[in-house]
Amino acid sequence: MNDMRISERHVRTDQIKFSGRGVRVFYGETEAIKGVDVDIEDKTVTAFIGPSGCGKSTFLRCLNRMNDTIDICRVQGKITLDGEDIYDRKVDPVQLRAKVGMVFQKPNPFPKSIYDNIAYGPRIHGLARTKADLDVIVETSLRRAALWDEVKDRLAEPGTGLSGGQQQRLCIARAIATAPEVLLMDEPCSALDPIATAQVEELIDDLRKSYSVVIVTHSMQQAARVSQKTAFFHLGHMVEFGATSDIFTKPKDPRTESYITGRIG
Amino acid sequence: MTDATAPDLPMDLPGRGKSLYDETDRTRRRNAAERRFRVYGLIAISIGIASLIALLVSILGNGLPAFKQTYIVMDVTLSEDVLDKEGNRNRDDIAKVMTFGYAPLIRAAAQDLVRNLETGADTDVAGLTDAMIGDMISREAPGQLRRFVLANPDLIGTTQSFEFLANGRIDGYFKGRVTMESAAIDGNVTPEQLLAADKLEASGALVTRFNWQFLTAPDASDQRPEAAGLGVAILGSVYMMLVVLVLALPIGVSASIYLEEFAPKNRITDIIEVNISNLAAVPSIVFGILGLAVFINYAHLPQSAPIVGGLVLTLMTLPTIIISTRAALKSVPPSIKDAALGVGASKMQTVFHHVLPLAMPGILTGAILGLAQALGETAPLLLIGMVAFVRDYPGVPPEGFFDPSTALPVQVYNWTQRSDPAFFERASGAIIVLLVFLVVMNLVAIILRRRFERRW
Repeated sequence: MNDMRISERHVRTDQIKFSGRGVRVFYGETEAIKGVDVDIEDKTVTAFIGPSGCGKSTFLRCLNRMNDTIDICRVQGKITLDGEDIYDRKVDPVQLRAKVGMVFQKPNPFPKSIYDNIAYGPRIHGLARTKADLDVIVETSLRRAALWDEVKDRLAEPGTGLSGGQQQRLCIARAIATAPEVLLMDEPCSALDPIATAQVEELIDDLRKSYSVVIVTHSMQQAARVSQKTAFFHLGHMVEFGATSDIFTKPKDPRTESYITGRIG
Repeated sequence: MTDATAPDLPMDLPGRGKSLYDETDRTRRRNAAERRFRVYGLIAISIGIASLIALLVSILGNGLPAFKQTYIVMDVTLSEDVLDKEGNRNRDDIAKVMTFGYAPLIRAAAQDLVRNLETGADTDVAGLTDAMIGDMISREAPGQLRRFVLANPDLIGTTQSFEFLANGRIDGYFKGRVTMESAAIDGNVTPEQLLAADKLEASGALVTRFNWQFLTAPDASDQRPEAAGLGVAILGSVYMMLVVLVLALPIGVSASIYLEEFAPKNRITDIIEVNISNLAAVPSIVFGILGLAVFINYAHLPQSAPIVGGLVLTLMTLPTIIISTRAALKSVPPSIKDAALGVGASKMQTVFHHVLPLAMPGILTGAILGLAQALGETAPLLLIGMVAFVRDYPGVPPEGFFDPSTALPVQVYNWTQRSDPAFFERASGAIIVLLVFLVVMNLVAIILRRRFERRW
């Protein structure tokens, strides 16, 4: 695969999808995110890179309020999706998560059939009126996740029986089955082999046509390959944020330079 | 990163052998310690298995005879002079003849039976008096005859064939509990009676067969161990288990789900958690006192009723169910919860669509083990009056829950208190029934666990 193929593409300056202003996250007394300002654009792949424990996953989980499930976690500052404050009192995180899908580090299909894995989201959100509608959603999602041809004959088999790469694509298909506007990916390829990783990366690039994708990754090559924008996190700060090509070729901050050249991390 | 300036460790460290083929002292000691530990383990397991076998052999040896019973078949003439003096076959008039009135009929029939056998002019039974012959039949027999006559008044005046229970001692003779020697010094049975019983058996009038009455009949008084059965106790235990299942499972599971998935983690929930664990360790008799004070003295529920027993056992079982349910819920991987929340399921949908189905085998196993524990519990039931002598079956639920009854473990306790050795045999038989119930419940638990078990 041509390493730089994707990032060299034109970065579209569409409207802002997510916008964070002065975001601070606390776990009890510990401050995990120390004031982050960021604008995430629509139909763009934004990569968060940084050493372990720098807060990039924490920030990602703030974007669909998955941090709500952690009792001691507090979020300050303002995060807006299409101009609406997602931490507003009136916002139900369930509705937010229907719009902001998420793919996790470890493939985590439900221990149900492949079909039910995909159909679960549409079912609970009432996206399909009939069984036929649901079938269409399942097929479309699996096709978008480049998994349809591999599983079309065994939709009734358990999703846990697939290979790791297939499972992760199943999780991506599950995430896009609810027709989200943003797709959050938390190190989606860290448990996959290079071939599966390549498939998922191609998929991410393809998904960019329809969604805004935010991906956390430990692999700088991956960030360079798939993203148009990159944010570098270090010790809870967002050190640098800009076009991927700029971050990797002419970083402004010395810490960014040290990290991408492998001296810290 | 390596620090190139650090000196290397010396090659001849103590405890390192020269060759891989030489066993060093340290290795030898370690291996010896491991072998010793294995031996200890084997010994421990052997002791466990040996005690289990001893227990089973003892219980089966003592209790299995309770499932067989000796019956005497005889023809009884239902004399109209005795049973229906008015001659009008009116049920109310017939009912005026008490059980006491039926006894002479049976005695006469028994004497006919035995005396007719003696035509062989056998002198061994010369000392056999009429009273002795009458005593060979159980004191349950007149009651049985009376019930038959009241059910079939038209048969008065005819001669019918009946199968009566043999007296407990005669029954014991055929099970090896009573011998000629013991009969010689026993005031309740004579060697002549035993000889007569032998003859009856040879003639086919005395049979030993499976004792369904042991499982269906109610308890019987001290004088009639041969008639005592577990019917009321089994019904009482089943009713109590129903009450426990209906109350403890929903309450326990919802409490666990709330504590595990929804409750905020703070001081109050900490205190609740600690106290649930403490409750599991409270002696069961304490729950009995609680039940007596709250359900009977305060709420005025009837004594000896399965509803009260069920409530007390529910209280006792709840901690077990809550603890095992919480463990089952905890064992569901968080990634599944994340996945469900990630596609926009609400907290409740996550729990009920994903967590609960995955935790189900654990929950059911815990619930059944809790039920099994409750089934075998005796102490609290003594305090709420279930130890009473109950001869009437409890009715059909829900009213039956309020009728007096006993329970299996209490019946065992009750029978071991009685003097007649026949009751000891019955108690062991009741333990076998209890064990069968427990084994079946545990089997169900295992099957459910296997069936619902899924990998993720």
